[in-house]
Amino acid sequence: MEKIKIALAGNPNVGKSTLFNGLTGMRQHVGNWPGKTVERKEGTFKYNDYEIKVVDLPGNYSLTAYSIEEIVSRDYIVDEHPDVIVNIVEAANLERNLYLTVQMLELGANVVLALNMNKAADDKGYKINTDKLSKLLGIPVVKFEAIDETGREELLQTIVKVSKSPKSVIDRIEYGTEIDEHIEQLEKIVNEDISGIDAPSSWIALKLLEDDDEVVEKIRESGKGQRVLSEAKKIRGHLSGIFGDDADAAITDARYGFIAGLMQESVKKPKIDKVTRSDLIDRIVTHRILGIPIFLVIMWLTFQITFTVGAPFQDLIDTGFGMLGDAVSASLGEGFVTSFLVDGLIGGVGGVLVFVPIIFLIFLLLSILEDSGYLARAAFVMDRMMHKLIGLHGKSFIPMILGFGCAVPGIMATRTLENERDRFLTMLIVPFMSCSARLPVYALIIAAFFTAYQGTVLFSLYLLGIVVAIVVAAIFRKTIFKGKSAPFVMELPPYRLPTVKGALIHMWERGVLFLRKAGTIILAVSIIIWALSSLPVGVEYASQESVTGQIGTALSPIFAPLGFGEWQATVAVIYGFLAKEVVVSTFGILYGVGEEAEEPSEEASVEEASGEPASGEEVSAEEASAEEEEAAAEEEEEVAPEEDPGFLAAIQELFTPLSAYAYLVFVLLYIPCLATLAVIRRETNSWRWPAFAAGYTFVVAYIVSFIVFQGGSLLGFA
Amino acid sequence: MTLAMGNTEEKLKILQVRHEEKFKKRLSDMGIYKDAQVKIIKNDIPGPLIVDIKGSRLILGRGQAQKIMVEGV
Repeated sequence: MEKIKIALAGNPNVGKSTLFNGLTGMRQHVGNWPGKTVERKEGTFKYNDYEIKVVDLPGNYSLTAYSIEEIVSRDYIVDEHPDVIVNIVEAANLERNLYLTVQMLELGANVVLALNMNKAADDKGYKINTDKLSKLLGIPVVKFEAIDETGREELLQTIVKVSKSPKSVIDRIEYGTEIDEHIEQLEKIVNEDISGIDAPSSWIALKLLEDDDEVVEKIRESGKGQRVLSEAKKIRGHLSGIFGDDADAAITDARYGFIAGLMQESVKKPKIDKVTRSDLIDRIVTHRILGIPIFLVIMWLTFQITFTVGAPFQDLIDTGFGMLGDAVSASLGEGFVTSFLVDGLIGGVGGVLVFVPIIFLIFLLLSILEDSGYLARAAFVMDRMMHKLIGLHGKSFIPMILGFGCAVPGIMATRTLENERDRFLTMLIVPFMSCSARLPVYALIIAAFFTAYQGTVLFSLYLLGIVVAIVVAAIFRKTIFKGKSAPFVMELPPYRLPTVKGALIHMWERGVLFLRKAGTIILAVSIIIWALSSLPVGVEYASQESVTGQIGTALSPIFAPLGFGEWQATVAVIYGFLAKEVVVSTFGILYGVGEEAEEPSEEASVEEASGEPASGEEVSAEEASAEEEEAAAEEEEEVAPEEDPGFLAAIQELFTPLSAYAYLVFVLLYIPCLATLAVIRRETNSWRWPAFAAGYTFVVAYIVSFIVFQGGSLLGFA
Repeated sequence: MTLAMGNTEEKLKILQVRHEEKFKKRLSDMGIYKDAQVKIIKNDIPGPLIVDIKGSRLILGRGQAQKIMVEGV
């Protein structure tokens, strides 16, 4: 079987990932480019007698050396010699998209131009003559649709055909006589002096005229570049004298000029711009007054749907683990192994896995919002407020929204921010967005104390996270991140219907991080907690005399002023640093949830609690409490409840309502989980930032919890 | 005049982009450069603008639009 290596390239939002998913299905591997924080997606598929390996290059507008993504893309093209580059372009947005195409042609790449979303171009009244376009560009042009199979066959045939034709450096792009002459002149010197750089010499000459940092550096490193570099400098001076602008601006102009010529000959546009459906939707969604209320409703619906739809699945998993725990206890009897399996594993990991449905749902809905193009509108709508409040622009808002799902993808999404200051500031506040991993903790405490006010309590926590983020950001803006925010420009992609496959893959990519966490960190932590709670040998499991109890007892005075100075609460907070949902599994292990009669009822109230940021929930609440009773009744027959104080009852003994709320506030705000700190470390490439994030959030959490507890006490709450 | 002063639906030609090198480059990669034509889709004060450039829609911060000099077509 013959092998072909292809790469998908194009602007952001043109359907690259959709085609990638369509071609490779789940046979894909997501990693990072070596030494870079840019995601590298690879996959393979079979077509006729060919095994085709696909690399999904990052979405780029250009191939200059201005961003890591651009450097990664062009290094790939230069160093790894893909047989074919499939350049996906949005048909309705051909002119701007061709700017990247031209630069890939300059690089001597074997390009197939694939026009996607042709329907949108038709709606705009564009008539694209692909034959003519192909002739003028000197590369094959294929129409296809990434979301279905339309044109897929032709695209694949073309890819195979092109893979067999030799690459040739293309001379058909004309930059105008003035620039063309100088490129040739410089190219000659490059050919004479420089060897060992694996890129066309015409491209090197062009990049030197553009004063491309990376290429200049490479030439300098070669040791024989003095003549080339001084000549390039001379020509740049000469060109800027002629054009009254930098040489690279002149080259940009020349590229756009070349493209404008192409467009003139191969595309017919209507005289008057048609108003598209996307525009009509935008008139309402980005409306100056309606925009923000619409955004709030959409976010509210997102959470509402998540919890309502997730509840039955949670019940199912919960019942499953309950039965598993009972079955293990029943078949193995009392003993060391049983305790390990039931208290350690089922109590720890099981307690957390119950939240998998909610977490996957929230990622699914956020993916749909993102893929449909709505998140870009949210960035637009929120820009004004973000500017005023924290001096960040709307683009920073997208990572914050993703932070509601999980801080890890949220922090990774800060890559789209160009300015380092903005990026670091956004990273520092994203962990305050209440992520789905914190939900289990809220749900547990709410079930124990606030069943009457579940919606309000939950909402207040989300809101508190946002308010703290705003205050902290405003303080940082005036201190460590002084200065203006980065200039704001981003593309507003047309609305499109997200595909089921695309949204599911998107959801899976993010949700699987959580599953992996449950399988690794949480599993390990559960075992450690169980072990520390069983040692030294002979102590009663999870008693104050155990190692766990001793650690908690030693450190608990620190938290006494916040209202939760008991050792169990302290232990849960310590372990919760590894992953916030571990707070619940810690309580689970400390109080032996696995064998609890009360446990199912606790979990039943959980969904009830989380599904209720507003009214209109009476029905499901009733259902849930009915289930609760039923479940409790069922369990009572099997386990004698008197032997155990009961999980919720235990929690109720541990806290007062006020200290419970202070505890929730602390869990919301304190040190981001280990995974978040690790991703901050990776993205900033330094330990300084995660260390700072850990330190300052602890202080913030301590102060806010202190105010809540002491203030509440003064006001007479208990 | 600056781009930020344009009215909705107005077509304008860019005369000068007064930004530092890096951002100027970013803008030109996205289609905003000297001599290019833009159409204003949305310009609600305060807040960012939405402009049409070569058929694509861009959100542009108000501060950034104030540094782009344009004239009517």
